[in-house]
Amino acid sequence: MNIIEVKDLEFEYKEYDENGEEIGANKALRGVDLTVPKGQFLAVLGHNGCGKSTLAKHLNGILTATSGTVLINGINAADEETVFDIRQIVGMVFQNPDNQLVATVVEEDVAFALENLGVPPNEIRKRVDVALRLVDMYEYREHSPHQLSGGQKQRVAIAGILAMRPECIVLDEPTAMLDPKGRAEVMATVKLLNSQGVTIVLITHYMDEAVQADRVVVMDSGLIIADGTPKEIFAQVDMLREHSLDVPQVTELMYELKKSGLDVPVDVLTERECADALLKLPHKAKCGAPAEESTLENKKEAPAIAETKHLTYKYSVGTPFEATAVDNVSVSIAKGQFVGVIGHTGSGKSTLIQHLNGLLKPTSGDVYIAGRNIWAKGSDIRSVRFMSGLVFQYSEYQLFEETVYKDIAFGPKNMGLNEEEIDKRVHAAAEAMGIDRDLLKRSPFDLSGGQKRRAALAGVIAMQPEILILDEPAAGLDPKGRDSVLDKISEYHRYSGTTILLVSHSMEDIVKYAEKILVMNRGRLFCYEDTDTVFSRTRELEQIGLGIPQISRLSHILAAEGMDIGKDIYTTERAKKRILEITNA
Amino acid sequence: MLNDITIGQFFPGNSVIHRMDSRFKIVLDIIYVVMLFTAQNFYGLGIACVFMIMVYSVSGISFRLIFKSIKPVLAIIIFTALLNLLFVRGDDTPLIDTGFITIYWKGVETSIFMVVRILFLIIGMSLLTYTTSPIVLTDAIESLLSPLKKVKFPVHELAMMMTIALRFIPTLIEELNKIMMAQKARGAALDTGNVFSRAKAMVPILIPLFVSAFKRANELATAMECRCYKGGEGRTKLRVLRFSKLDIYASGLTLCVFGMVIINNIVFAQ
Repeated sequence: MNIIEVKDLEFEYKEYDENGEEIGANKALRGVDLTVPKGQFLAVLGHNGCGKSTLAKHLNGILTATSGTVLINGINAADEETVFDIRQIVGMVFQNPDNQLVATVVEEDVAFALENLGVPPNEIRKRVDVALRLVDMYEYREHSPHQLSGGQKQRVAIAGILAMRPECIVLDEPTAMLDPKGRAEVMATVKLLNSQGVTIVLITHYMDEAVQADRVVVMDSGLIIADGTPKEIFAQVDMLREHSLDVPQVTELMYELKKSGLDVPVDVLTERECADALLKLPHKAKCGAPAEESTLENKKEAPAIAETKHLTYKYSVGTPFEATAVDNVSVSIAKGQFVGVIGHTGSGKSTLIQHLNGLLKPTSGDVYIAGRNIWAKGSDIRSVRFMSGLVFQYSEYQLFEETVYKDIAFGPKNMGLNEEEIDKRVHAAAEAMGIDRDLLKRSPFDLSGGQKRRAALAGVIAMQPEILILDEPAAGLDPKGRDSVLDKISEYHRYSGTTILLVSHSMEDIVKYAEKILVMNRGRLFCYEDTDTVFSRTRELEQIGLGIPQISRLSHILAAEGMDIGKDIYTTERAKKRILEITNA
Repeated sequence: MLNDITIGQFFPGNSVIHRMDSRFKIVLDIIYVVMLFTAQNFYGLGIACVFMIMVYSVSGISFRLIFKSIKPVLAIIIFTALLNLLFVRGDDTPLIDTGFITIYWKGVETSIFMVVRILFLIIGMSLLTYTTSPIVLTDAIESLLSPLKKVKFPVHELAMMMTIALRFIPTLIEELNKIMMAQKARGAALDTGNVFSRAKAMVPILIPLFVSAFKRANELATAMECRCYKGGEGRTKLRVLRFSKLDIYASGLTLCVFGMVIINNIVFAQ
């Protein structure tokens, strides 16, 4: 029995000019066919703008098709008379956890849908309690939403849908704005609901989530271009790359190994499957001493550009809420380095980087930028901010000017530079971030998500800071947007020699670019070492709750079962090299 | 910082006052205010004040909080006091007469009377918000105003707007902080310069805040639609407002006190 039947669905956005005249139409969906059987867990992949969110909004009658039909349990989803029945059958959860909670108390929010439907109060109470228990948020029922973490808010949003007892839940990138812990919570909830018979449609950019589904469909330019089990889909590495999508690291590894002539299957998704396949190959027990990476370590360290000495920061001193966010951290960052900063939410990493820019004043201890104590008497804190540029998470929120040009010029203007110099810097920064000249005249609010992010970054780069601190610069972007932002930053680092601090939850992103890694845990400096050394301690990293790359987990399994390719495996390139070596291919 | 703003200032508890039906609380609070203004002499005012002190001590709310609620209106209180002190003229000889400033005994009297009246007005109002959560307060207002639906007054919409505002104020304050930090990091000078340059410096903060607020509103509207929101008609409530014997007793007591104030007025008028 199919719960969802989409036939030849087309949808057009009409575009209007300032006078309300129609100037064209934009086809977001161009003939989508999709049937989903009851109880299935379906993952939908595709880069931003491929039409997947538009498709989702047709499934419960939020949008109505230009042509084609959507049937839910055989009922037309576009029919106005039955639209509230449809919305009870198909519930939707969105990306931003804040923007879907209506009430100021958790249980009132979960009750919202039932109140709208006119369910009697005692029945509402029962169903709210059941829904909250199911997502494991019952003990938070009297909290207000702003006291909750992102993952908790998202689970409340799911409970709000569950209270309607839907047969299907559509989740539109529910984990894009969450930290790894929140993502895991939400995914566990989704899996639990699926096991209880709820049909799941999960739109996501994370491949590790998609591999947990029963079925994966890939969308591009308003069409479904691939449909199959996760194994079938992810084995098509070329196709996925062509549509700017990721593949799991182990799949990528197998694909590369096969290209190099090893006889391995490509359709592996988990590190366990991958290890089993690799262990079948004839191999030595251990790799020879790695020779290729030692050049890095011999490089003499440059003088420190940023330094903290016994830095401690306490919130709300003197109130019952007093808490230590950063506890006695002494760290020295050498000029010209690319440093990855990692730690889970609440580890103090954000507080630490805000000190390096003079936005926060230490409770005790000192901060030195370019050898200068920034809180010494007579020190001008604004000049410190020009020396160490800080880009916040979701930095597109800082855009405000009429044109992209003016927005990028905001920082340099505050520095008091002359027109000519400002012009030069704006163009240099725009080029560094890959923003075309004709985009500079446009309003920043007309840009795409990835472009906005890069424009915001350019606004800080235009100040030409000695240190560039980036807090999750790729958060919430699709794989293509993420790669383009991070690649541009890495390129800029190479040719400008600017010291970079990249804060991220994603170990995969950090190891790709960083020479050294700074790990924060519970307000303390856990370690600050070069990447290889940090990875010799992966067990400890896992213990403090940090996710390590899939490829590192693979190397642990291999080592434990007699195929030691080394502890310093964190990229697929290196793993490939070592495996080719150990199998004598 | 801005995080310190607490809207509603609700202090959860389980006192008699907390347990009362919020609709009764609002109505009785209004009666109390009327009572304060009905009282025409110190005896009447005294009765109302003693009544409020009694109610306040029963609520279990710390008396120190009174100062917190008075602080924002302190300037008004002082202004009222001075105005009455300087400009109310009595028939007797002035207490102080410097030629420039003349103060009569009646001025002192009126001044004290007015200050006490304003003080107890604020204490009474804040007791309502201290003991009632904003959401319950909203429900009560919706319920009390519901007769106005007959004249097409958008009661439900108003209550919904209040709920959403309460929900998003902390979120927007957090966002405001974030935007301020981001613009400061770009060298924006927010707290220096004269009034005009400060006002101009707000532009880089307010525009992103508005843009984001509109985006949030848009997404929230879709999320509400997905949860079958179709306006106030046919809606039920998780929490039903119910009145109990307690509310009847409280009403009886308040009306008795009101009666005493009126009798007092009549007696002294004769």
